[in-house]
Amino acid sequence: MFDAYIKDYNEAVFEIDKDAALEVVETAIQQGVTPEQVIFNIIIPSIEEMMAEIVENADTNLAQHFLTAQIASEITEKMLAKFTVPPEVIGRVIIGTAYGDLHSLGKRIVIGCLKSMMIDVIDLGVNIKAEDFVDAAVAQDAQVIAISSMMVHTATGEDGSLRVRSILKERDLENQIKLVVGGAPYRFDPELYSKVGADSWAADGVTASKKIKQLILEVKA
Amino acid sequence: MSVRIALDIAGLRVRAACGGIATCGACTIQTVKGEFSSFTLSEYQKISAEDRDLGIRLACQLYLHSNAEVFVENPAPESNWKSLDLSTWPAYQYPKPDLNKCPYAVAVDLGTTHIRLSFWDRQQQTRIASRHGNNPQVALGEDVLTRLDVQQKRSEDLQSLTEIVRHAIIEGIRDILARDIGEIKSILDKVGLVNIVGNTAMLALVSGQDGSQLYQPENWENHIPCLPTDLSSWQQSWRMPNAEISVQPALAGFLGSDILADLIAIDIVQHSEPVMMADFGTNTEIALWDGKQLLLTSVPGGPAFEGVGLQNGLCAEEGAIRGVSLGDNSFVLDVIAEQTAKGFCASGFVDAIALLRTNGEIKLSGRFLHPSPDGYLLDKSNPLTAVKAGDIDAFQRAKAATAAAMQQLLELASINLDELSELWICGAFGQHLNLQNAQVSGLIPTMERSKIKLFGNAALSGCEKMLLAPDSEKITEKYRGLIRVVNLSNYTEYDESFINHLRLQPFVRDE
Repeated sequence: MFDAYIKDYNEAVFEIDKDAALEVVETAIQQGVTPEQVIFNIIIPSIEEMMAEIVENADTNLAQHFLTAQIASEITEKMLAKFTVPPEVIGRVIIGTAYGDLHSLGKRIVIGCLKSMMIDVIDLGVNIKAEDFVDAAVAQDAQVIAISSMMVHTATGEDGSLRVRSILKERDLENQIKLVVGGAPYRFDPELYSKVGADSWAADGVTASKKIKQLILEVKA
Repeated sequence: MSVRIALDIAGLRVRAACGGIATCGACTIQTVKGEFSSFTLSEYQKISAEDRDLGIRLACQLYLHSNAEVFVENPAPESNWKSLDLSTWPAYQYPKPDLNKCPYAVAVDLGTTHIRLSFWDRQQQTRIASRHGNNPQVALGEDVLTRLDVQQKRSEDLQSLTEIVRHAIIEGIRDILARDIGEIKSILDKVGLVNIVGNTAMLALVSGQDGSQLYQPENWENHIPCLPTDLSSWQQSWRMPNAEISVQPALAGFLGSDILADLIAIDIVQHSEPVMMADFGTNTEIALWDGKQLLLTSVPGGPAFEGVGLQNGLCAEEGAIRGVSLGDNSFVLDVIAEQTAKGFCASGFVDAIALLRTNGEIKLSGRFLHPSPDGYLLDKSNPLTAVKAGDIDAFQRAKAATAAAMQQLLELASINLDELSELWICGAFGQHLNLQNAQVSGLIPTMERSKIKLFGNAALSGCEKMLLAPDSEKITEKYRGLIRVVNLSNYTEYDESFINHLRLQPFVRDE
């Protein structure tokens, strides 16, 4: 029953027409679809479809990527406010860009996808020190630290992921806090994540959210 | 201008060794058809009657009175250097200093892809000649950070990188001396000052530093000193024993002294109403003068504004589509040197996007109406005229970064777009832009044409002012005091605004 909504919604989001996307969602709700269903049966499948198309397309359009993630995230927020029972949060992620890195947009896409998947995100912002990542994860009881780096030297440098790993080790936190990374340098070298001490990485926002979800469940198990 | 000067600008250079005063007789050229100035006395002395009958002339003495055809049988060897056309620049009004010993001086704008320089007689306050050429370091990587990475990886090569760029500058200077004065060593002895502005990475390299400062977050908003550590060996290698080589320090991590030079060139702080300045390039710098302070920031332009980074991109070279317009049933391509199109330079690409957006072939989102892996071919028979989806994407991100930065500065200063009295577009990119087309896609804000001022080579002009103004240090200090560097990553609303500006639509007030 959701296929028609997904199709209309996708069309609107692909044309970055936020109003039309909202209209699809409003119509669905008027026709008896619950806000929960909107998120799980329309928005998430739609994001997955979109990411698949964006990834498969040789001419990857990043502009499209940003615009669609922004709209999806806004609509998710609107739907969350309408949930009859407070949404059950799967887990919590501390996210930020590596020390020395000011590129915030990749992180933004991941945040949008995580939120849509009912994962709580605390965004520390850009240029975050390794200690601050770990301190925040402990204070907020988060299961995952996610670090975005868009430059090679912030991905591989001593002040980034490598330092977070060594702090986790020092404080004996490795079983309760997992470390994930993402950003351009990791796309060029798919093994880089393990060289910088991370538990996982992903090439796009949806895959990142899925992998993070899995790690959260592992920690909680 | 003489035929010689015109050819120097075009890059097909005649041989020359005297600076255009007809003493060397090297710049011979043959007239084919058209109307020309009469033979000068020097030409009677230098050219035999027989040759004069064949139409042989001295290019430095020759002026055109109509469209004409000439033949250069024996051109100068190909060179990296061409003259700049600065004929429209007004003269600076500075008092003549007393510099009998070392009257000569050089202004250098050291860019990522190009080097521009001019040679001055400060005593007479005259520009002897100017040049622009490629920065040979382009070979190491197309953007600044790639080059810094290369440099960090091979720190033992740092010295040679520094040598490469210094060598390029002195080659440009020697080219001027050889062609426009006719003496080299004795003139180099009398050079008293070299003033160098440039982007941060190039400043670090030319002064022999490793550029690692640029990576330090604490340097992003602070001035970065670029003091050369080996001044005397530098002077020696240039054979300029008396030259003070002054490398103007960068303003901040990604704001070079070339931007300071831009701002001084347009006298931005002399304006009584708000003025904005943008210098498009691999990094795009934006400044806003609100009457009290000078807000300044930098955003990534990426390769989209350099042409060369597009799939079908070129520099402004032969075969590059520099402009596109609509014909009866097809697109009319304006190709440099009227050759078969080999790709787009930036101005042509901006036109193409605007026209395809206007006729609906490209949608608001930047997607094609009829997506195809081949892109959209402006000339169906020539695949090199294709606008590719990935190139539109790169353009969207570059123009959105610029527009969002402009908007952020306006908000910080509480100024509306329509309160701007002028928008200056400095740098090579702006010069050939069809402004109306640039406004269709939101590359530059929608405002009256009369408010938009174009100033190519502005950084060189500012660098010259620093060289010539008697109170030059005071001026640069004043600017440095008024500048407030804005780090856009401190503003969360910038991200939001960036995403909104990705849409291919005009940039208007309160979007």
